[in-house]
Amino acid sequence: MKSLLVRQVLILAALGLVPGIGQAIYFRDKVSWRSPVPASEMVTVTQARAWGENAIWVDARPDNEFARDHVPGALPLNEDRWSELLPQFLAVWSPEKRVVVYCSSVSCNASREVARRLRNEAQLPNVFVLEGGWEEWLKTRK
Amino acid sequence: MAQDKEMKRTLEPGPHLSPLGAPPGRDPREDAQRPVRVLSRIVWRIVDVIVGGIFIFAGLTKIFDLDRLIADVRHIRLGNFLLDLQHLQFASPMGFANDIDNYKILPWTIGVGLASYLPWLEIFCGLALILRRLYLGGLSILTALISVFIVAAIAAKVRGLDITCGCFGHVSQNWNFPAHVALDLAILGALVGLFVSSRSKKAL
Repeated sequence: MKSLLVRQVLILAALGLVPGIGQAIYFRDKVSWRSPVPASEMVTVTQARAWGENAIWVDARPDNEFARDHVPGALPLNEDRWSELLPQFLAVWSPEKRVVVYCSSVSCNASREVARRLRNEAQLPNVFVLEGGWEEWLKTRK
Repeated sequence: MAQDKEMKRTLEPGPHLSPLGAPPGRDPREDAQRPVRVLSRIVWRIVDVIVGGIFIFAGLTKIFDLDRLIADVRHIRLGNFLLDLQHLQFASPMGFANDIDNYKILPWTIGVGLASYLPWLEIFCGLALILRRLYLGGLSILTALISVFIVAAIAAKVRGLDITCGCFGHVSQNWNFPAHVALDLAILGALVGLFVSSRSKKAL
């Protein structure tokens, strides 16, 4: 009974593996295995700073964290007040500008979610997520 | 003469049968319970199909972009359904990988691997339940999967993480936590029931 069960589990696990690997190969160019954000959509602090006036910094953190401190000139745009803050951001945005979205810590989801919404819902090109987020920016500020 | 003997032997109850055709010593109550047993088998078979179907659907929503098709079914738009079915596309595993990553339990790389693998495993296990092939294996894997989902969801809630379960792709994106856990617990209950019923069938 036990060996039958183990055998069945192994067969099913192996069966799932075959199309699973196929799918992973099919999407190999569209999925990043290293980071939730594809490398092409990430930007380092140094790169983003080099863009100077051509970059719009977007702070995806909650309002209280933005109020405490933020990248000079950054605009608040978080998901809690998305519909309220988006028009303010769009008023400043222009097609030639690059958008750099950041949030707190490397594992933060807010920046990539805001970046995704800017790309998909607002249909904006050149939207990037800041590698290392707010903490990384703080390190380079010192 | 020989024909008469043969006919007599055929009409006479055999040594293993009582005059009424039932085996000797068989409890008449057992016969009375027979319809109940048959009904119970039918009910569990339906549960097999429903639970298997749920997992197949869950797997498909992660593998294919079914949003439009589901909207067509909801609004009963058969023409659109057939049209959208022709343009059915694979969904990127990134969506499900993000859902897994939101739980903050596994490294991203493992999450991506699971995002490609788990939907197919769900489909094969669902099929195992419906087709009754590799049945115990399918039941065991699905019970383990749903238990892990429940524990992960509760742990995420306790840690204050705002998660979308991703159980049914985008369909379940706006589900709240109690609805998510209630469905998972109902499925777990059904799976445990199927386990128990499959064991008792073997005992019979």
